[in-house]
Amino acid sequence: MNLVVALMATEQGLTKDTILSSVAGYREQLEAGASKDALEKMFERDKESLRGLGVPIETIGNRADPDDLREARYRVPTAEYALPEDITFSPAEVALLNIAGGVWGSESLSADARSGLRKIRALGIAVDEPIIGYAPRIRVRDASFAALQRAIEQCRIVTFTYLRPGEARPRERRVQPLALVEYEARWHVYGYDLNVDADRTFLLSRIVGEVTLTRKGFPAELREGAGERALEGLRAVAERQRALLEVHPGTEAALRLDRRAEQAPQGIRVPYVDLHVFADELASYGPEVRVVEPADLRAEVIRRLEATLALHGGAE
Amino acid sequence: MSTDRPVAALDRAALLLQLVPYLLGKGEVSVAEAAAEFEVAPDQMRAMVERLTVIGLPGEQGYWQLPHDLFDIDWDLLDRDDVIAITNTVGLERSPRLTAREAAALLAGLQLARSLPGFGDSELVTGLLSKLARGASTAPAAVIVAPGPVDGVRDVVDEALRSRVAVTFTYRAPGAEPISRTVDPIKVHIANGQWYLQGWDHLRQAVRTFHLDRVGDARVTDIPAAHGADPVPELFAPADDEVVARFRFPREVAPLLADYLERAEIDDADDGRAVASLRLADEQSLKRLAARRGGEVELVEPAGARRAAAAWAAAGLAQYAHES
Repeated sequence: MNLVVALMATEQGLTKDTILSSVAGYREQLEAGASKDALEKMFERDKESLRGLGVPIETIGNRADPDDLREARYRVPTAEYALPEDITFSPAEVALLNIAGGVWGSESLSADARSGLRKIRALGIAVDEPIIGYAPRIRVRDASFAALQRAIEQCRIVTFTYLRPGEARPRERRVQPLALVEYEARWHVYGYDLNVDADRTFLLSRIVGEVTLTRKGFPAELREGAGERALEGLRAVAERQRALLEVHPGTEAALRLDRRAEQAPQGIRVPYVDLHVFADELASYGPEVRVVEPADLRAEVIRRLEATLALHGGAE
Repeated sequence: MSTDRPVAALDRAALLLQLVPYLLGKGEVSVAEAAAEFEVAPDQMRAMVERLTVIGLPGEQGYWQLPHDLFDIDWDLLDRDDVIAITNTVGLERSPRLTAREAAALLAGLQLARSLPGFGDSELVTGLLSKLARGASTAPAAVIVAPGPVDGVRDVVDEALRSRVAVTFTYRAPGAEPISRTVDPIKVHIANGQWYLQGWDHLRQAVRTFHLDRVGDARVTDIPAAHGADPVPELFAPADDEVVARFRFPREVAPLLADYLERAEIDDADDGRAVASLRLADEQSLKRLAARRGGEVELVEPAGARRAAAAWAAAGLAQYAHES
């Protein structure tokens, strides 16, 4: 902390030597006879931790030779450290942010949201009456979420094993991850699939095991507008794919499907994004729904029902 | 939200960065209130404040720091009244920018909040989205939450909530005949894209939870919601679930069964498979689970559910019988 204060107070920056000999924390150690090597390592570690906390540390190199870091000066540019002065929040905005910050069920995202809220509340804004009556929640149960989020932030290529439904064994994918999208209560990662050289959307729940961040990066520009592109992509697919279904009125299936459906002369038309995810859902309704078309969806539902029957002792 | 967990060094640094602007904004604040805001125990808050007072600017070469080079607080006030007030600062006065992670968490939350009735594409939300993006130290990862379909029932419930009156509707519970209900709305929960209303049910004279997808013909009444502020239980509070169910599944599909597995006991079985044991309110849902995961999830117990799954699949298949 002494380091942050020191680096923020300086305009022209402090050299490493000055820091080690004057900033509390290093200075005592130096005076107690700690080796300079050890202290320099400690300084490098502290610098990285602070950057991890979002504190920007600028390195001002030697003008004649920018690669020579021996004389480098370090500083924290206040303008980049602090919330910009012109960003203010109205009481109504803070009330809404309080709701937005409370949606996370997962511990790490929830801590991030609360910490962000604290920074905003510290601007000393009065808060409107809290918005009562609503408790929206987002749950992230997919273990891969955190790793993918980190990879997107750092623009790093990831590899993971993906089990595509209908395929016997999972396959290794190499992807430039660009956005995380929750669509119909399922999390997807959208990115550029380097195996097929095209944009692809993957279901997080079908990622088997760990997501590995490789050392290889990708240009940050690829991320621009990726969230909107991903969402448009999913919507375009739903627009294209509409199943024709016959549903028995009054059943669970009718309740769940009618909301998403358009009436058709023979039953209802329901848009879907993923053939297999939708086949899973339709199979669960058993005799409550019959798939008229498309044929591949019908075949997938029949396959699931046959497998269920076979696994549970067949017909009696 | 645990308050007695030890605060790791890095977290402590992050908190200290936020502490100064918070204390300055407050002027004077009790140790208890500050501790609650920072989600630490009062002792830890006191320790943080004490630690703050040994932080400061580097001293002149060869000299130790002078008092005005350090943060300081009103010690009397702290000792006497347990109140914190900063008296000298040497930096850190402004709130730090949001980290990419913090901004992403709030941005995604806002997208969900946007699906609440009355918040749609309001300027409030749009303005906040751009402020948060601008207030982040590095570009947050795009975390998008797509709004689900909205229907009139939500608007009616919202109107009842806001005007603090009862709402009346037809409710169709799973496997039951529709019943007309009148409810004092208390809270609307949105979880996994599903909307639930918790409210005081005039018929049962108690707080009940209603799945809004099962609600039809909703109308606002002019009956004041006398129980509109009653305490409500957790949405999925553990109930006295009677049925013990067991099913077998291949390990690699575990993520797809998360809903069930998070409250199940899981044992290894042969062939890379596992067996989950859990308690359920009723076994009706199991046949649907088995059919959904067609061929992957095998119900083991209760035997009735196993038979029901076979019959369910057979009845489903019968609809296609003439085709094959």
